[in-house]
Amino acid sequence: MINSNVLKYPPLHRRLYSVWYRHMRVYTKNILSNAFPPFLEPLIFLVGIGLGLGKYITEPMGGVSYIEFLGAGLLVTTAMYTSAFECSFGTFIRLEFEKVYDGMLAAPMTVNNLIIGEMLWAGSKGFFFSFAVLCILLVFGIVALPYSLLTPLVGFLTGVMFAALSLLITSYVKTINHFNFYFTGLLSPMFFFSGVVFPVANLPAFVRPIAEIVPLTHSVRLVRAICSNNYRPILLYDLLYIAVFIIVVGFFAIKRLKKRLVN
Amino acid sequence: MSSSVIKVKNISKSFGKIRAVRNLSFSVESGLCFGFLGPNGAGKTTVMKMLYAKCIRDNNSSEVDIFGYDPVKNELVIKYLSGVVQQENNLDDELNVIQNLMIYSKFYDISVKTAKKRIEYLLDFLELSEKANSKIKELSGGMKRRLVIARALLNNPRLLILDEPTTGLDPQVRHLIWDKIRQLQKQQTTVLLTTHYMEEAFQLCDNLLIMHKGQNIMEGRPKELMKDNIEKYVLEVFDTEDGHEVKDDTVRNNIRVDHTPGVIRYHCDDIDVLNNLATTSLKAGDYHIRETNLEDVFLRATGRQLNDKQ
Repeated sequence: MINSNVLKYPPLHRRLYSVWYRHMRVYTKNILSNAFPPFLEPLIFLVGIGLGLGKYITEPMGGVSYIEFLGAGLLVTTAMYTSAFECSFGTFIRLEFEKVYDGMLAAPMTVNNLIIGEMLWAGSKGFFFSFAVLCILLVFGIVALPYSLLTPLVGFLTGVMFAALSLLITSYVKTINHFNFYFTGLLSPMFFFSGVVFPVANLPAFVRPIAEIVPLTHSVRLVRAICSNNYRPILLYDLLYIAVFIIVVGFFAIKRLKKRLVN
Repeated sequence: MSSSVIKVKNISKSFGKIRAVRNLSFSVESGLCFGFLGPNGAGKTTVMKMLYAKCIRDNNSSEVDIFGYDPVKNELVIKYLSGVVQQENNLDDELNVIQNLMIYSKFYDISVKTAKKRIEYLLDFLELSEKANSKIKELSGGMKRRLVIARALLNNPRLLILDEPTTGLDPQVRHLIWDKIRQLQKQQTTVLLTTHYMEEAFQLCDNLLIMHKGQNIMEGRPKELMKDNIEKYVLEVFDTEDGHEVKDDTVRNNIRVDHTPGVIRYHCDDIDVLNNLATTSLKAGDYHIRETNLEDVFLRATGRQLNDKQ
């Protein structure tokens, strides 16, 4: 009775793209208020901390001037924060308040498609936010072309990685206020102790292994290598860490969120 | 000759200790409207969700066959062939009317050109053309509901699942939506509907299943349900506390009496009997005689007491 052409539900890549497209459309709806801050924030940070405070830091840090050191770090912390916001507060609101996912799941897509699409979108935001920082760094002559053009790719990986982590956290969260623990308890320490504002080597010896465990450290090492065009074998380990982190944490995030989305 | 496009056998769903749906079976023929009627918490929505894989049925010897597919194994096919209007309007507030529909057209992988034509047609069909560029916040409740219905129709669904489509809407909008559902049926769209409006069930449904506490209590054509389960007429006596009662000895065998606080109902197939009863022992204005309706059947079947979910 049903002929075979009705089986033409969208293929996997179109389903993922449609989720990504939905988020992109909603995000770009307020293009001015959404696209301006990613450029403004690194500018404020570099002027305030890099130029202001950096004047007193005369010693080179990690072999470069302080503003270079800090600027490279900002390329990935911005990706971390935007992705974390998107997949914690953003996801929770879509899940619990707006019921956006309920509607989407009535269309031909699975929970897996929905969440992987979401992670890809967070990665794209990471890419864009890194790119915004890169523009500011280039304007100030803090990083050099053309190698630095690769840095938004690290922003993408950082975005996907923190999307997976944030989605896993979100799967546990019952009220939206719980995210405060995540931001203050996990992301802020990562910002300060993952080699962004000072090298991991300067941490006390017993803390250093912890810095190796947390995800941001690996993004930072990759982005610094690109900025200084100095590649070492340890970067392969960083890439492997990021890949494994995304797969493992993403797997559990999907598994747990599925229980909330499909009864 | 129509055949069943939905065949459901023996499905159940438990949430912890609560058995939301118990051993429900039904089948729906192509192009007909099948309604689920029941109080809040009866399990109507859970049944709908099990059909489009938003809810996974309990793993027992149940069978679900929708156009030949099982939602547990082929959720994408079923979702592709169906349009779903959920209880909540879940529209994207950030976007306008057309943009909301464009986003969903991407979910079905409809080309932009086709989608634009389809959206224009659907906005016209649901009388929303003037609102095409309005923000969602500017829409009334009835417009939002019509937009969600338009969204569900984007992919020309063969099955339309409507979960309380007109709850909270005014009579004009409700009648408009009923009219549209009838038109869709004429185009051979199969419709599944949940409602607790008796009038809606009576107007739209070819077949009706009354659910209570997750179970099927009765099923059939609305008129037959009434014929088989309730007397034709009812005499309602109000303010019984004030002594406006029919003396017991005048109530005869073919009358069924139903006492509720404040109102006594006398049911009978013969209107003359009720007329007689009223004129002999009641003052005009203290009573009302009318034909029974689906609501009487429903209340008789599900009881007048509230359950803990209502």
